[in-house]
Amino acid sequence: MTLAPVLQALPFAVLGAILGLDVVSFPQAMLSRPIVAATAAGALIGEPGRGIAMGVALEFFALESMPFGASRYPEWGSAAVVGGALFAQVPDQTVGAMSVAALAALVTAGVGGWTMVLLRRFNAIWARRQQARIARGSGSAAIALQLGGMTADLLRGGVLTLAALLTFAPLFDAVVSTTRVSGTVSRATVVAIASAVGLAAVWKVVHTTRLARWYLLAGVLVGFGLAGSLS
Amino acid sequence: MTAPAIARPPADALALPWRVRAAMLVRMLGIQGAWNYETMMGNGVAFALEPALRLLPGGKGGDRYRRAMARHSGYFNAHPYLAALAVGALARAELDGVPEAQIDRFRVAAPGPLGSVGDRLVWAGWVPFCSAVALLAFGLGATPWGVVLLFLAAYNVLHIGLRVWGLHAGWTHGLRMAQALANPVLREGPAHVARATAFVAGIALPVAAQGIIGPGRAVLGGVLAAVSAGAVLVTVLHGRIEGWRLATLVLAAFVLYTMVR
Amino acid sequence: MTLELFRIDDRLIHGQVVVGWGQPCALGFLVLVDDEVAGSEWEQELYRMGVPPEMDVYFDSVAGAARRLEGYRADRRTGMLLTGDIGTMRRLVAAAPGIRAVMVGGIHHKPGREARLRYVFLTADEEDQLRALAADGVAVTAQDVPQAAALPLEELLRGDGTG
Repeated sequence: MTLAPVLQALPFAVLGAILGLDVVSFPQAMLSRPIVAATAAGALIGEPGRGIAMGVALEFFALESMPFGASRYPEWGSAAVVGGALFAQVPDQTVGAMSVAALAALVTAGVGGWTMVLLRRFNAIWARRQQARIARGSGSAAIALQLGGMTADLLRGGVLTLAALLTFAPLFDAVVSTTRVSGTVSRATVVAIASAVGLAAVWKVVHTTRLARWYLLAGVLVGFGLAGSLS
Repeated sequence: MTAPAIARPPADALALPWRVRAAMLVRMLGIQGAWNYETMMGNGVAFALEPALRLLPGGKGGDRYRRAMARHSGYFNAHPYLAALAVGALARAELDGVPEAQIDRFRVAAPGPLGSVGDRLVWAGWVPFCSAVALLAFGLGATPWGVVLLFLAAYNVLHIGLRVWGLHAGWTHGLRMAQALANPVLREGPAHVARATAFVAGIALPVAAQGIIGPGRAVLGGVLAAVSAGAVLVTVLHGRIEGWRLATLVLAAFVLYTMVR
Repeated sequence: MTLELFRIDDRLIHGQVVVGWGQPCALGFLVLVDDEVAGSEWEQELYRMGVPPEMDVYFDSVAGAARRLEGYRADRRTGMLLTGDIGTMRRLVAAAPGIRAVMVGGIHHKPGREARLRYVFLTADEEDQLRALAADGVAVTAQDVPQAAALPLEELLRGDGTG
């Protein structure tokens, strides 16, 4: 299955729209976390197992991002749909698939963060246009502004996902066809990079809490042992 | 210079009908729907408060309703879940007829602490904890939908709980909201969650990595060594470049290498 | 370590300060300098609730902070001093020599202010006050969170709100 045709990408765009909306605007229930979003994208292709593998890799990256107020951060909801869809469309052990899909997702996350900044500027422009009514205490103006902002965010996520899939699906096919590393090496590389970011992120948020660094060390030792016994 | 103290809300105050509470709760799910760099979530606060403001004398469109809507549409920013406390407190203050100057002062002082408490408990605490639990479940072989449901259920217990509790506690305490913020879950919870996150994430990262890579001790050993070195590098570079940006560059270099080698 | 960071932020104590800076920099204490908050019990109680139990917060007026600055500097923990506006920071710098660097962490929109960065809006008078701070030998930068680049004053004042 190829994802290039717009019609084939549309279900993913709808999913990306809903999950992009969840990131900030509504309802912020973490449906947009990569582990959820990529699994849902994989499920649309009938491969939730491959979707979640991509989702886990991206979840490591997402551990680093905290949506503080006006700070900039990557938009993982739509990005994980893109990564999950690209990775889930090819058979298991396809050479290089995970690294290329993860790269596409990371680029989409960065672009998605930028589109959120853009939307926030447009929200300010719309708010200024309504300023006279809002200053008079118009309830309908406040409601219209809120619903307008959410609708725009929904569209933002959908357009972003569609554009990213239409751009990256043919690139993905082209790159994967020229890649000469095994699926295992590709997965191992992505996991190593993603886990390093995830581990550093966990360290950053816990190291100031009393005793937490020892809990982390104990956990890592247990985890290494457990992973060794499972492999 | 001494600011006037805030009076305790009257015990015989108007009750907030459950339909109004439900409408406010639903609207609070979209409190950041029109977030912008000027008023931030200000419009969202007015949007969430609006069902309660209809109960003011004069009703919807009345003078007090309009003055309150105009006031609450101005700049406000806090953690989106903990903002429920402010929304409850402001609804109470408006319906109790608290002086406007005091409400304005509260709107300046409340956002920071609400943001701080929410960011520590949720963004830096509960999100990574639930994420680590889900990663561990994946690594231990749970089904994809099992992992997703576990993550969403665990996360949203606190998420929805905070919004419901926040509205109730804000309404109960009014502008004396600091009493609600003294709740041990908010004060001590983040430290406990941080320790739990540290332990579970420590286990989850290698186990989930193994779950993706599949069998093969040599590969796993190499990956875990690379992870440790990479984590130190990302930590050292913190403040200069974000980890995900650095990762994008490294991954792009790897993909290029695999194409040309 | 010592009192290392001097920040102008109209939200004073909030997530970017406590988590964004607090965790990577291992902040042990905050000094909130504001004449009104220094005289308001309920506001102090509110801000205190925004700070984790393991972090201390001290409330001070400009005059009090100027007197106690050496004491804060002698603290072995890393600390951050916050003011809610540029004028307060200027008065503190004038009253307490030795403050060499100030970061603008957040000054938000209100009528009359122009957007300079996503998180900094300034009136013409406030821009002059920042220039005056710099002319006094203080390195003025803009930075919301540690992972963002610290922008020098000239770049901040050239901004159009998109940065």
